[in-house]
Amino acid sequence: MFKKGGTLRELYDSLFAKSWPMWVGGVLLAVLNILLFVVKYPWGASGGYLNIGQNFLGAFGWESMSTSTPVSMHTVAILNIMVVVGSMTASLFSGEFGIKIAPKGELFKGFLGGALMAVGSMVGVGCTTGGFFSALPALSGGALFLALGFLIGTYIALKYIIWEMEVLPFMSTGKSYTFLAGNSKHGAWQKWLAWLVIIAVLYVAGNYNYEGSSGMKVLGWHIIIGLLLGLILQRSRFCIVRAFREPFMTGEATAPVAVIISILVILTGYTVLKYFGVGNAAETSVRAIEMKAVYASFWAKALIGGFIFGLGMTIAGGCAVGTLWRAGEGHVKLWLSALGFVVFAPIARNFVVPFFDSFLPEATKVFLPDYLGYTGSVILILVLLLFAYIFVKWNEKTGKFSAF
Amino acid sequence: MNADQTLDCRGLSCPMPIIKLAKAMKDLQPGQVLELIGTDPGSKADVPAWCNKTGNEFLSIEEGEGENKFYIKKK
Repeated sequence: MFKKGGTLRELYDSLFAKSWPMWVGGVLLAVLNILLFVVKYPWGASGGYLNIGQNFLGAFGWESMSTSTPVSMHTVAILNIMVVVGSMTASLFSGEFGIKIAPKGELFKGFLGGALMAVGSMVGVGCTTGGFFSALPALSGGALFLALGFLIGTYIALKYIIWEMEVLPFMSTGKSYTFLAGNSKHGAWQKWLAWLVIIAVLYVAGNYNYEGSSGMKVLGWHIIIGLLLGLILQRSRFCIVRAFREPFMTGEATAPVAVIISILVILTGYTVLKYFGVGNAAETSVRAIEMKAVYASFWAKALIGGFIFGLGMTIAGGCAVGTLWRAGEGHVKLWLSALGFVVFAPIARNFVVPFFDSFLPEATKVFLPDYLGYTGSVILILVLLLFAYIFVKWNEKTGKFSAF
Repeated sequence: MNADQTLDCRGLSCPMPIIKLAKAMKDLQPGQVLELIGTDPGSKADVPAWCNKTGNEFLSIEEGEGENKFYIKKK
């Protein structure tokens, strides 16, 4: 696309010829997540799936599942869609895009994983992104139990996948297809299409911003930030499933360390913002800013929801956000995971959540500084992250907990 | 490149190619070469990283159109 040896070509290659280190993606995502906190609300995904699902089921005439907020007016739904678009754009630029249809058993696992994630995120109030990646640095107590649930769910589902490979090998073998693929040398159309997508996105975002009202401007910025999130996710292959799974699988510490670094950056940003009550203060009270990304999940609902979510994300091979960026890259298995998530999110909220509510202790919003003070809370999170770091690095060397 | 065995991972996404690779390598004799064909862009980093971690030798990658071939020699 650009002249060989030129400076623009050099820039293009450094962005799209090779994947970025995962921790670099983590730092960039952290910065955008801090921006999201200021503009509106910390990053999440399951609320967006729910909104898309409500609109989807409503369109089929299921009125009791419907919502009055269209997808185009829902900040989280917009972020979700833009992560798909951003990842698709990045994979078109890098020549990695292609419609990849996995064998039937894998497609089924994608859908099932998505449905389990829907149930888990509705019960646990949040997914790996909103409930953990944003909520932990937001000093939410529920995030700790959600993370524990993820860990147990991931571990069990990984055991299942390895067992399935031995006993039910047909699940992951069979006919597969690839369409519209290119690579770094062929497929110039992919790059031109990527530019067209970017122009279209800027046009749409511009329309939101020219609307004038501050609410529309916020939505317009979510379009742009969402596109960047998708781009960064695809280039760095930042993946929270990997962070939970890899210590038990290959033992590599790359993904967990990237997530730890990212959370450290967000922790710094959120703590400052919360401590000084920075953000859209004109619209919300200082207490409301403090309570951003603190969800009513403490503690049993977070643990059970996290466990179910952990099973789902490991079977699907992508968490809520991981599903989105892999779907943008063309993996049809993750298209089905997204579909399962979308369809089952409203159903889970209306039918499964009341069932768990009937016997689990009432879930509360626990903001750690209310109990430990800001200093104590930050120290607690830092100590936990340090323990996680020491564990994954020790395990990387010794392989004590890894399957192979 | 000549391989002793071919592993078809087309259409599969993370983590399936690595789980299949780990299983296939168990059945190989030391010195034998496995060819892995895959379509997941993630494999370009994951396969060499897995080899590095497990001590198997990563020989080469042939990038095709949407499809990559990896050659791995069992230690």
